[in-house]
Amino acid sequence: MAVTAGAVLAGSSGCGEDIRFQPSRVSIVRVPNYDQTLYDTVRRTVAEHAPDVRGRNILLKPNMVEFEPHSCINTNPLVVHAALEAFRSLGAATVRIAEGPGHRRNTLDLADAAGYFNMIPGFEDLFTDLNLDEVSRIRPTRQFSRLEKVYLPQTALSADLLVSVAKMKTHHWTGATLSMKNLFGTVPSGVYGWPKNMLHWAGIDECVADLHSLYPRHFAIVDGIVGMEGNGPIEGVPKPAGVLVAGSDPVAVDATCCRIMGIDPYKIAYLRLASGEVHAHLAEENITQIGQNIADVALTFELPPYRAGLRLGKA
Amino acid sequence: MSIELLVSKQNPDGGWPYLRGRSWTEPTAYAVLALLSAGQNEAVRKGLDWIRSAQRPDGGWPPQLSVDESSWVTSVVSLLPPDCLGEAAHARAIQWILSTSGKESSVLYQVRWWLLGTPRNPDSEFAGWPWLPGSAAWVGPTSLAILALQKERRRKDTPTIQERIGQGQSFLLRRMCAEGGWNHGSARALGYESRPYPETTGMGLAALRGASSPKLGKALEVAKGFLTECRSADAINWLQLGLMAHHQLPEGYCPPAQVAYRTVPETSLLMLVNAIGNGRDLIWG
Repeated sequence: MAVTAGAVLAGSSGCGEDIRFQPSRVSIVRVPNYDQTLYDTVRRTVAEHAPDVRGRNILLKPNMVEFEPHSCINTNPLVVHAALEAFRSLGAATVRIAEGPGHRRNTLDLADAAGYFNMIPGFEDLFTDLNLDEVSRIRPTRQFSRLEKVYLPQTALSADLLVSVAKMKTHHWTGATLSMKNLFGTVPSGVYGWPKNMLHWAGIDECVADLHSLYPRHFAIVDGIVGMEGNGPIEGVPKPAGVLVAGSDPVAVDATCCRIMGIDPYKIAYLRLASGEVHAHLAEENITQIGQNIADVALTFELPPYRAGLRLGKA
Repeated sequence: MSIELLVSKQNPDGGWPYLRGRSWTEPTAYAVLALLSAGQNEAVRKGLDWIRSAQRPDGGWPPQLSVDESSWVTSVVSLLPPDCLGEAAHARAIQWILSTSGKESSVLYQVRWWLLGTPRNPDSEFAGWPWLPGSAAWVGPTSLAILALQKERRRKDTPTIQERIGQGQSFLLRRMCAEGGWNHGSARALGYESRPYPETTGMGLAALRGASSPKLGKALEVAKGFLTECRSADAINWLQLGLMAHHQLPEGYCPPAQVAYRTVPETSLLMLVNAIGNGRDLIWG
């Protein structure tokens, strides 16, 4: 596929058919610590992408997994609060926070123990437990998995913009969990259980791709200030990467995160599925980086057991 | 939350939400059980009407009415006394539980593994229960199904019920974490040991009432440790039930004052735990 510079790039589907697509813009911001400067950093980063949020209802979806305030398992609550303030300052009508943890039933207790109540004033009033929300039955628009239907929470479906505020972590089944895998938290455990095991039987990577197609109004912010390496997404160890990655195209954001982590995005099955036939938005040359270059912030995240083949540059 | 507050959370359709909004089966079943234990009548009648009307043709219950599949909540409903729910409805619910098991223990799945030459996973040796049919068995739904069948066994003991309780309890013992106690049901993954959770440790112990195993001692110690440090209402409820099941709840135990009982199941289970202490047992009795 030949790629040319310009606002609109052209590619071939392999059948002699030209495919035209917009290059994606992804911000990479160096953030060494969780401190008060994050508020300005996140506001400027979101504004760079000029998402149309004025008067809209925004839903922030962090990655909340465990009752741990100081580990690297959850999206840091400071990042979530900074995002909340950023979208408010950009004129959003409402900004809410929602999550449906996959293993622990007591979501508000988890949020409290993980530091969200302390960090975010009025957290309980701003928060919806997606595991117990009203649900609607949806048929995937582009079905990759064996799920012919999926029940999804109204709060997520009705948001004008779903903002995945994810954590940069390795994942023992999918290789990496970033903004797209974070959408598993929108699948209600009240219907599917703790864990949401039906998604595993239907194909984890395929379900990630299905969910990506079901939330077309989606923005991604990935907390890689301290990520997780090794046997993620739960048993791994902290990896200070000192970056925040954001953009309107979750595929491009996650592909960029993979490169920062030393993972080949073409080897992440859900990214290949969600990026279409020519995987245009996986190609580094098709992603306009804003801020830092990948090379300046790239690290080598230790891979999960049996996932050594995902390493970037490895044949 | 007092009885009055629990009653005030009832929806006009007779069911209960988890927090607010549409009625769900699990909070409705727990609320009815709790109000039965408190001798409340009118709210119970409306709740039972909602539950009866929600039963599916296969005998099970969906998590909420907009879901068209029966699920694990059938076990919670089956804790209701048959003379309240209706003998026929209850019998069909028990049949649904008996006919449901984790997909990994099905004959079809075992044959598939054998044909593929895959070594048998020892974790799938015993049949537990899934959250939804068509997926694997886990600690939460297995514990609830065992509680429902143990209660039924006191009325009508059959070899099938005994067999499934035995299988389920063996499943729980197999899935216990190395340090004792349970998480959602994955004691180890890719060679790494996993940590237990308070709530599922309580559930597992409650379902192992009457069972004997040298492994139980470790689980009870873990549960006692969790009880002193845990601040989650759901977890504290289940830890109390789990320790009560083995006569190990510290005498005079009282949950910390700062614990927030936010959801209808949390409040209802607290009432049920307190009722057991007052001689009115609707979980095992």
